[in-house]
Amino acid sequence: MRMKHIQTREEKIVFGFQLTLLASFVLAVGGIIVWIVHLIRLSHELQDIPSISIGISIVAIPVFLVLLGVFNYVFWGMLLHQE
Amino acid sequence: MTSREPDPAERHHILLNPILLTGKRFYITVGVLLVFVIWGAYAYSLQWRYGLGVTGLNQPVSWGFYITNFVFFIGISHAGTLISAILRISQAEWRRPITRMAEVITVMVLFIGAANILVDLGRPDRMLNILWYGRYQSPLLWDVTSINAYLTASVLYLYIPMIPDIAILRDRIRGMWHWFYRVLALGWTGTPKQQQVLNRAIAIMAVLVIPIAISVHTVVSFVFSMTLQPMWHSTIFGPYFVVGAIFSGIAALLISMALLRKLYRLENYLLPIHFNYLGMLLLIMSLLWFYFTFAEYLTGFYGNEPEEMKVFWAKFSGEYALYFWTMVICNFVIPVIVLCRRKTHTILRVVIASATVIIGMWLERFIIIVPTLVNPRLEVSSAVYIPTWIEWGELAGSFALFILLYVLFTKFFPIISIWEIEEGEQVGLKEVEKRIRSYMPQNI
Repeated sequence: MRMKHIQTREEKIVFGFQLTLLASFVLAVGGIIVWIVHLIRLSHELQDIPSISIGISIVAIPVFLVLLGVFNYVFWGMLLHQE
Repeated sequence: MTSREPDPAERHHILLNPILLTGKRFYITVGVLLVFVIWGAYAYSLQWRYGLGVTGLNQPVSWGFYITNFVFFIGISHAGTLISAILRISQAEWRRPITRMAEVITVMVLFIGAANILVDLGRPDRMLNILWYGRYQSPLLWDVTSINAYLTASVLYLYIPMIPDIAILRDRIRGMWHWFYRVLALGWTGTPKQQQVLNRAIAIMAVLVIPIAISVHTVVSFVFSMTLQPMWHSTIFGPYFVVGAIFSGIAALLISMALLRKLYRLENYLLPIHFNYLGMLLLIMSLLWFYFTFAEYLTGFYGNEPEEMKVFWAKFSGEYALYFWTMVICNFVIPVIVLCRRKTHTILRVVIASATVIIGMWLERFIIIVPTLVNPRLEVSSAVYIPTWIEWGELAGSFALFILLYVLFTKFFPIISIWEIEEGEQVGLKEVEKRIRSYMPQNI
């Protein structure tokens, strides 16, 4: 289960781009989660019924985490099982 | 794969032709679409420069074409993911040529729908207020969150099943694009373990995407139903919007199937039976749509609340009667007449019904939004909404941009899933036989 295919310079460049793809997805989902947490903090600071923000985030954040998990599963599943 | 087994890419070369060959018709199509996109962009540039005053929007009618477009396009997005996911989970084998077309529709229209919100803002920099100062008490924020979740899920749900086909393109194409496909193929070689990972991920996404899709249009409906505006404050809006979304989504899918079948010579893949089955679904959704519409308006009529009745009569016999009854004819009368007999489910008739549904569903969104705003609860001296050429330009530009993005997609990726067709031929047939045998009486 090793990435024996990453040996030549060409393969390393391709892997670099693939990691960039993964990193972009992680950043995008991470950014959304950070934004949701920011809204919870803001509603708490303003005493603006933070329970609603917390309630929505309890559903929304796990959904985004699952999507991130699925992409990671596929990403590493493809790369690590090429042989 | 042994040397005796035919290469799937060779067997299904016609699915790769749009990518490998580019004819004059493609350039003409792109050219025509670009004209409308440029019209829309020019219209928006004027709006950017002079403000929303160049549109027909005013007080109290602060929502018009743009929000209609937003709801309409988000509705169409249910085509893809919901139909594709439900057919995958129910193991309907006839789904195989259709799923990717449907998934592409979803991803493309979500961008267009979200763009219409930015256009409606007038000052798009105010979008940043959602990031810095958003409040989850507002259904608008619920909308932003659910659409983001849906877009993320749809992109994944489109991309993951494409991996084996991207690998086919990686192996066939040389030059700059070879690198593009090589990166996206994620090292796919078709090993059993990779296939297992792929199938498992697709199964997870198919299950996950359904509640997300339903939540999206339910939350879009909450933007209206959570207000106290006459004929908006209704508990039926959630399921009504979801049914309407699936309805318009199926119609959009049928039209795209018919066009692609003709343009890319896919007669051997998109068979009359596919149009027949989706035509039946369209008929069912038409009946469901009528049921929800009837319940919605009957409830309002029976309640006889003065502010609601102003809106009611404006739609039934007033200044919006033409649009309302056109909507009913397009969404119910024509589809039922055309589709009620199975023998009439020819491709042409199904496409005609679908086209009328697209028109009818756009009108439905318009009829929900504008008459209520023209007749608000608070007394106003006069309220009228007449869209300007700017808004018509944005409408034309939105449709053209969606079609353009769709056409461009078909230039880079196979619009029918090659590996799923192969899988259907090699594995699906046996699985279906096994399944049918399991339904039959046993041990007789």
